[in-house]
Amino acid sequence: MSSLPNWTHEEIEARLTDYLEGLLQPEEQRAFDAHISTCAQCEPLLASVSHLLTDLHSMDEIEPPPRLIYAILDKTLGPRETVTGWRAAFAWLRALANPRVGYGFASVAATFLILLSTSPGFSWRKPHLADLKPATIYRNADQRVHLVYARGTKFVSDLRVVYEIQSRLSQDDQQIPAQDRNRQQPPLKDPGQTDGTNPSSPKQQNRANGIDTNLQMLAADLPLFFERRIR
Amino acid sequence: MRRHTRRIYNICYRFTGNGAEAEDLSQDVFLRVYKTLGSYRSAYGGFATWMTSVTRNLLIDHYRRTKRDRVTDSLDDAMPVVENKASSARRPDELALLGELSSQIQIALTKLSPELREAVILRDLQQLEYGEIQRTLAVPEGTVKSRINRGRIELARILQQMGVRPS
Repeated sequence: MSSLPNWTHEEIEARLTDYLEGLLQPEEQRAFDAHISTCAQCEPLLASVSHLLTDLHSMDEIEPPPRLIYAILDKTLGPRETVTGWRAAFAWLRALANPRVGYGFASVAATFLILLSTSPGFSWRKPHLADLKPATIYRNADQRVHLVYARGTKFVSDLRVVYEIQSRLSQDDQQIPAQDRNRQQPPLKDPGQTDGTNPSSPKQQNRANGIDTNLQMLAADLPLFFERRIR
Repeated sequence: MRRHTRRIYNICYRFTGNGAEAEDLSQDVFLRVYKTLGSYRSAYGGFATWMTSVTRNLLIDHYRRTKRDRVTDSLDDAMPVVENKASSARRPDELALLGELSSQIQIALTKLSPELREAVILRDLQQLEYGEIQRTLAVPEGTVKSRINRGRIELARILQQMGVRPS
């Protein structure tokens, strides 16, 4: 094993940053460590520099005052124009020349027109100033809301009735096949019978009989039509 | 613009230790950059490096100027004017901004020689690489390393003399 070179205090000081930043060669590193571990002068120096670096790196940046940017702009691009007198009174009109202001006005006007056209009680064909009164608009809107509510309620109740009828019919359909399983099929179909079963009610039977009678009368009145259809 | 302003102001503040001087110097830096923009070449190693170089030159000029003032005033006051300005001209809100330790380090920084001070500021506060510092200061890399090393050791000793215990 080769003996380590003895570094002086000056050499240690000169290579302190290299040591802290890990830039020493392995041989130099060992020599540095050997000196530091035994030197009462260099060891505290290394510790204080190391702590100093930690403190320096943790120092926050200072926020420049906001006026600095304006001061720089004034100094480089020249001072901003200050308008005085009657021109200053109308200086705000320049802002209206900005396209953004134009877009803003257009969007506000469009919104107003949309609101007006959808507001209840106002007609473009017969515009009345009285229709634009808030009380009138409120009354008309209230009326329209109530109307819509009443229609909605009626629609829901109608739906309920329809569903109730449908559910009862489906229950009957499920019960009827169960009852008919034990019944014998009739030999002949009755008029108006379509599914191999008897009409469920006498009224339905009568109606089917009536249609049959009407068809027979129609065939007697229009024989040619029925003959062509048969062919 | 805002980013550059912040960076330049910080370099100036750390170098002078005085908010008002840092503001004036930052304005001078931007004015000089604005006037000499035509002379900028990418060979300088980037606009930020070139701007830092301009800042450094102005800071050194400012240091020399205030040094002359300091010599003039030295009959009345034994302490250097820059150091006095650094401690007395600092506003209370500036002191509040800096922590206690940070303000002590700031005072110690202004006691360093300008060559060591700028090297430590650029390396340890602005976190620049050795190459960038070399281009900014226009000195060989060995000199940069040596100045940073000596600056750190000197700063640690100054803080020790001030009775400041680093964390």
